[in-house]
Amino acid sequence: MMVSVDLLPLLFQGAAVTLQVTALSMVVAFVLSFAAGFARLSRIKSIRVASSVYVEVFRGTSLLVQLFWLFFALPLLGIELTALVAGVMALGLNYGAYGSEVVRSAILAIPKGQTEASIALNMSPWLRMRRVILPQALAIMLPSFGNLAIELLKGTSLISLITMADLTYQGMILRTFDSSRTFEIFGLILVMYFVMAYPLTLFMRWLERRFSAGRV
Amino acid sequence: MEFVKDAPIVRYRKVSKSFGDRPILKEINLDIAPGEKIAVIGPSGSGKTTLARLLMTLEEPTSGTIEVDGNQLWHKTVQGKLVRADEKHLHSIRGKIGMVFQHFNLFPHMSILRNVTEAPIHVLGLDKEEAVERAVSMLKKVGLADKLDQYPAQLSGGQKQRVAIARALVMRPKVMLFDEVTSALDPELVGEVLTVIREIAEEGEMAMLLITHEMEFARDVADRIIFTDGGRIVEQGTPEQIFYRPQSPRLITFLSRFRAG
Amino acid sequence: MWSWSFTWSILPQILEAMKTTILATIVGFAFALVGGLVLALGRRAKNRAISLGTAGIVEFVRSTPLLVQLYFLFYGFPAIGISLSPFSAGVLGLGIHYSAYLSEVYRSGIDAVPRGQWEASKALNFSKGTMWRRIILPQAIRPVIPVLGNYLIVMFKETPVLSAITLVEMLLTAKMIGAESFRYLEAFTLVGILFLILSYGSSLLIRRLELKWSRS
Repeated sequence: MMVSVDLLPLLFQGAAVTLQVTALSMVVAFVLSFAAGFARLSRIKSIRVASSVYVEVFRGTSLLVQLFWLFFALPLLGIELTALVAGVMALGLNYGAYGSEVVRSAILAIPKGQTEASIALNMSPWLRMRRVILPQALAIMLPSFGNLAIELLKGTSLISLITMADLTYQGMILRTFDSSRTFEIFGLILVMYFVMAYPLTLFMRWLERRFSAGRV
Repeated sequence: MEFVKDAPIVRYRKVSKSFGDRPILKEINLDIAPGEKIAVIGPSGSGKTTLARLLMTLEEPTSGTIEVDGNQLWHKTVQGKLVRADEKHLHSIRGKIGMVFQHFNLFPHMSILRNVTEAPIHVLGLDKEEAVERAVSMLKKVGLADKLDQYPAQLSGGQKQRVAIARALVMRPKVMLFDEVTSALDPELVGEVLTVIREIAEEGEMAMLLITHEMEFARDVADRIIFTDGGRIVEQGTPEQIFYRPQSPRLITFLSRFRAG
Repeated sequence: MWSWSFTWSILPQILEAMKTTILATIVGFAFALVGGLVLALGRRAKNRAISLGTAGIVEFVRSTPLLVQLYFLFYGFPAIGISLSPFSAGVLGLGIHYSAYLSEVYRSGIDAVPRGQWEASKALNFSKGTMWRRIILPQAIRPVIPVLGNYLIVMFKETPVLSAITLVEMLLTAKMIGAESFRYLEAFTLVGILFLILSYGSSLLIRRLELKWSRS
């Protein structure tokens, strides 16, 4: 692998873009997960319906199709997005839809007795969500959120197909200089993705252990 | 009725409840005097738990009204008409009621101390010091002052239920509901919980509605016993009357089955 | 802005390409079903080198993007003398990628087989092969069939990524139509709707099967 050193500067540049897009999309996805997750539990039917439509549409059509739609089709409706915005939006909307299911099912998994005990203590709905239901639900959500975070990181590779200069994109560029090194280039990129994703796996496992401490 | 001397603290007026088309309670009328201890007995499915859950606002009555301390619980008066109460109204009345559940329902992610201080701090608005002081004295009362930093999962069922009692007491309700609080316990743990409830009952100032299968306990603690069956109050009276001079055939059958079992 | 007549005119072409999408899904999934089982058994191997090696492969494959894996197979392998057609590289990539996921599904199924079943098999002196084939696997696989079904849908939704290695499936067909006519809006929307119908429809089907099964 000594020969690969000359490839690294460009690949590191790409990895920085990958991490940046991952971080931005995670924020969008996280916010949407909770917004849509709560909306699906709303007492108001129109809110429930609207959020289920969002969730089913974004889970049911493929991420790459959504990405292409935002980047290539939306301009024809007069809305031009930069590659970065289209990428972050597609990733955020897509993983937000999956995340909302995580939020919803975790909240539903909390036993009814917890809500009843909170009512008996005269806690307001907001207080009971914030201090009783959510802290317990978050512990249930963590493993699934961890998996989604890794899927999202991997999903960012698709933005190379809408001209974002991420890690994958740099590989395609390097390949054009010397196609005899393609095997080495993509092998190296795979390792770099692994190096970025695996700490996330370890971090999530650590968080899970910490969260379950003292409560079993 | 001789027990109701002051204005009642709770008043059920023609309260009915059905789940779907299955009636659970049928036009219940019941007054509870301040400080009165009432035990509710009856076969399972007779509606006795629902009686308590309506008062705790965990279920909404299908018809009828409940008054707490002179105020409508499930309704409020707007321009002379009774309308369905909103969360704000429920919140303002609910503080007078407390409840202990069959399955404890402690908060598993909070220490014992936090289980008991959580509502005083965030619902009553006490400062932390005062809440802790109140909580510790209450946990002492139920004999668990040495468990403050433990978590519910580390306690036995009897201990959990005593924490749940402390958690409800610390809110200083005027009426306390005990919903089959020993039913989920191993037989050898029932005694410690009943002892605590007896002590609280003896202090006297709080009204108590005890839904129970422990006949002996009901007889000792209650001023009045209510026997429910098929969604109605079939018979009520002093423990003396209910246990030694039951009138209705259904109560007689119920008691005999109990003695046999 | 939106032309229905254009939408109708491209529908046959896209439906034709759907055949490729579906074929790639089926072949890739068949590969993953077998590969996943091999990996699941490999992880249980007594030989530590094999079990750790398998675990490593699973972690690595799951932590790296399908797109880069496909590039590696399609562009990288020719550099070491192995040329694959877009279709074979595509289904091989899908198969390998999802083998890693399915191995975890099998594993959870195997772990859920009660200990008594292993002990009884031993007491009856079954050979290892017989035990796995006749006792353990039938019990391990049946309860995870709905999960496997969900992965089939997930894989189906990832087939558009195969367009990046020039496999002419639905998305690439739509993209080519868009490039010719500048009517990306109709082309991509149509693809999105087709994906939604197929994946949502099949997920409803799986849910119904699951309900039926859990009752019996």
